[in-house]
Amino acid sequence: MSISVTADSATNTIEISVLGSFDFSLFHDFREAYADFIGEQHRFCVDLSQVEYLDSAALGMLLSMKNALGEGVTIELKGANDFIKNILMISRFDKRFEIR
Amino acid sequence: MKLLCVDGEPVYQEIISLCAQKEGMEVVTASSYEEAIQCYEVHKPDLVTLEVVIQGGSGVQLASALKRMDPGRFVPIIFLTSHISDSVMNSCFKAGADDFIPKPFNEMLFSTRVSTHKRQIHLIQEMYRKNRELTFYQSMIEREHKMAHQVLDHILTRSERSSQHLAITRLSATNFNGDLALAYTQPDGTRVVFVGDFTGHGLSASIGALPVAQAFFDGMDNQIGLSELATQLNKILLNILPDYMFCAAYMIQIQPSGEIEYWGGGMPRGYIRRGDDSVDYICSHHMPLGILSVKEFEADCEKAFLGAKDTLVVASDGIVELKNSDHQMLGEKAMEALVMSSYIEQDLNQAQSAMEAHLTRFQGKSEQLDDITLVAIRNT
Repeated sequence: MSISVTADSATNTIEISVLGSFDFSLFHDFREAYADFIGEQHRFCVDLSQVEYLDSAALGMLLSMKNALGEGVTIELKGANDFIKNILMISRFDKRFEIR
Repeated sequence: MKLLCVDGEPVYQEIISLCAQKEGMEVVTASSYEEAIQCYEVHKPDLVTLEVVIQGGSGVQLASALKRMDPGRFVPIIFLTSHISDSVMNSCFKAGADDFIPKPFNEMLFSTRVSTHKRQIHLIQEMYRKNRELTFYQSMIEREHKMAHQVLDHILTRSERSSQHLAITRLSATNFNGDLALAYTQPDGTRVVFVGDFTGHGLSASIGALPVAQAFFDGMDNQIGLSELATQLNKILLNILPDYMFCAAYMIQIQPSGEIEYWGGGMPRGYIRRGDDSVDYICSHHMPLGILSVKEFEADCEKAFLGAKDTLVVASDGIVELKNSDHQMLGEKAMEALVMSSYIEQDLNQAQSAMEAHLTRFQGKSEQLDDITLVAIRNT
């Protein structure tokens, strides 16, 4: 499985880790990873440190996640390598996500 | 399921019929070569048993004749015979037999064999059925794609053709292109170019091209400004695209004086290759189209200048992310070097061809994973 979900109750954070290539093939798995938490108040964190490649479909999936969880929910994108961080910044994802 | 039993001896016809009926099969019998051919034609059996020696011909010849009669159908042939030498058995299998049972035969063994064949027939019939469905599905898709192509190609007919001022290269990763390049020159010589890259590639990515092209040319007819165009396109795409799709884009307006105004969202940087071999960049500062609400959308544009000997080159990310056969991406540095070396050429279309040739050489035998659009603009 290239997506894993861990919930940290102490910090109320749901962490979704993606492994390998983050592209359209993960469309359903990625949605399932957060689907159960829609409507709940958590902090979300998508760990991109194990992602080698990310395409525009993945950006779309992240936007879709943001939409589903709602405006008030914070989503952190962490651990992106330089290549991926560059993609995120070109598309100005800093306007919708916390990029670390 | 139907079994055709070909045997000259009534006793065997009866035993075989009884056994097969116990297996739930309907049985048709024939005693001669001719009768067997007729029965096969009329009753279209699912399974055949054959004796080697029959009236009017040999069972071996009959086997190959039956296999030839209906090549599109899988009908196992079981030889049930008292001629059991290795050479006879060999010629039976060579003629297309699927099984061989020596006489006198054991009823239990016969039933087991028949049920095995029945299982196989079911599997193969299922496979044929699925195959027919797939063929139907494929031809339907082909027809739909053809129609979609016609519609999508039509919208590009209003776009300006290549010239010494404008060169557009579009290479699709699949049948459909999720990139879009549109150009229009207003009566006063002001040229407006739209270069867009929809999320993903293929048909679903190219569908957004329709409303964008429509709105672009409407905007040109009404001579709206760049900010207004960006705002309109964002609103349209926000409304029609699902939330996981958007369109990275540059909208570039070039006055005859060389003054450039542009709006960029989610696109890699573009290059202004100066006549003196230096380079400046245009950068997109916004989120792609179709993400931000009307209230949040930022329509502010940047400025640049395109001198008499300069070339403006913008491309979708498919180029910098193009991979060679060692899975290495082209990258921004190599892209810039290619821009610098290719567009030194005075003829814009030759320069564009040189750039394309470089990209093809780099790509080698590796597969193109994303759509590529490359647009070069000159002002002289």
